[in-house]
Amino acid sequence: MSELLQAMAQGVLIGSTYGLLALGMGLLYGVSGVVNFSHGDFISLGMFLCLALYSALSLDPYVSVFITVPVMMALGTLVFRFLIRPMIGHQFLMIVQLTLGLSLVLQNGIMMVFGGQPARTPSVVESKLMILGEVVLRVPHVIAFVASFAMAIGLFIMLRSTDFGRSIRAVHQNAHAAALMGIDVGRVQVLTFALGIGILAIAAALLLPGTPIQPTQGLRYTVITLLVVVLGGMTNFVGIMLGGLVIGISEAFGTIYLSDTLGSLMPYVIFVLIMLFRPQGLTLGSSR
Amino acid sequence: MLEIENLVAGYGGVAVLRDVSVNLSAGEIVGLLGANNAGKTTLINALSGIVVPMSGRILFEGRDVTRLTPRERVELGIVQVPEGRLVFPEMSVRENLQLGGINARAKPNRSRQMESVLDLFPRLKERLAQHAGTLSGGEQQMLAIGRGLMAEAKLLMLDEPSLGLSPLFVKFIFDIVDRLHAEGLTILLVEQNLMLTLRHAQRCYVLERGQVAIEGASDVIKDDPRTRSAYLGL
Repeated sequence: MSELLQAMAQGVLIGSTYGLLALGMGLLYGVSGVVNFSHGDFISLGMFLCLALYSALSLDPYVSVFITVPVMMALGTLVFRFLIRPMIGHQFLMIVQLTLGLSLVLQNGIMMVFGGQPARTPSVVESKLMILGEVVLRVPHVIAFVASFAMAIGLFIMLRSTDFGRSIRAVHQNAHAAALMGIDVGRVQVLTFALGIGILAIAAALLLPGTPIQPTQGLRYTVITLLVVVLGGMTNFVGIMLGGLVIGISEAFGTIYLSDTLGSLMPYVIFVLIMLFRPQGLTLGSSR
Repeated sequence: MLEIENLVAGYGGVAVLRDVSVNLSAGEIVGLLGANNAGKTTLINALSGIVVPMSGRILFEGRDVTRLTPRERVELGIVQVPEGRLVFPEMSVRENLQLGGINARAKPNRSRQMESVLDLFPRLKERLAQHAGTLSGGEQQMLAIGRGLMAEAKLLMLDEPSLGLSPLFVKFIFDIVDRLHAEGLTILLVEQNLMLTLRHAQRCYVLERGQVAIEGASDVIKDDPRTRSAYLGL
């Protein structure tokens, strides 16, 4: 029983951050039809930037976000403006190709600077634990959970009730009509990409404490994010958060109940099962 | 107010409009007629900046707007109510109207403007919280026009406002058009419905295969034998 609770708790905590990561990808897809296959490598980059800031200035990852978020957003803006945007409206596969190429560039760039060995970035809360009855929670996971949900809710409110949020939804629902309202569609797309990268820079710091990182991990995060986005129904933001929890929980169950190799397969098995029976994604109604 | 001079425009290097010149004076209601594929929608999309002209000029209130972006044109007051209405289906009526007034010039007056739009369309007032996708075709057309008015249009371009509507709604929509005209709004009315347009517009242009075939006062155009042939594409 306690093992089950432990797995559930751990899964929910990590899953919330997966959900947050996927929101960025879903938003971008919603406004521009772009699926970014270098998403995970941007997460990697965020993590290694935190590592660099720790090595140079002994900054805690939770402090480093105040530097990594603006840096990554600026980088994201440039990447979108000069690499991705010219491809919009062309073959979908060209964007896949481009972002996969970008993934390799980022991965090898990180490898050139930091080397190939796994590295760790210490944080003050890294080894702190929270004990709730029989369940032991790692404090970084709890922080990640609270921060992820707070940001998801903030994002939701932004989409619901600000002009920028309404513009994002308008471009998603009908880009042509949005342009006729005087909304600069290209600008909304760039800002959405930058927003997604900013979210991901925060998520990178949330996932970092206690996790060994290596330059080649990016693709794993991309795949996890893609699973979550597809589970959630691509542009359904409630569904995406839910998808994050499902993937997080299946991962936790896999690692606790099954052997290591088999355990890490769990999210994919669950994903395939859900897609077989609910190809439209987890939730029915959409909240775009 | 609006002068289109020798406009050539189209898609992918193929000209749909060939050497089109059209003028509108302030406060006028002008019809743009023509069969399918005559270039009517291309023309108003060129006015909105969605289609980039290959040559020719567009002057609005004496200013050259040929190279302005769609956003800049909306801010100047050139507003299109598109064919098929294109409301944002999964947003409420209120949000659709708010989006109509999102441009920099209209935004400060949004709540005042919303009141006058809702006075014009009391039906929308009852449905403010409802998703636009659940409205009937006629209600969606009201919303699309209301959304255009929210932008504080100086020139309102209506693309096929009667399309797919019941006769009752068509009458209602054209009564609104007359009322807006009476209030001094300049209107460019794009329609396939010949008789309806001739009845409501002061002047008309008939487009045929991307060129202005006939132009003149509505009652003159009505009796011109060329109108019917242009219209039927004969």
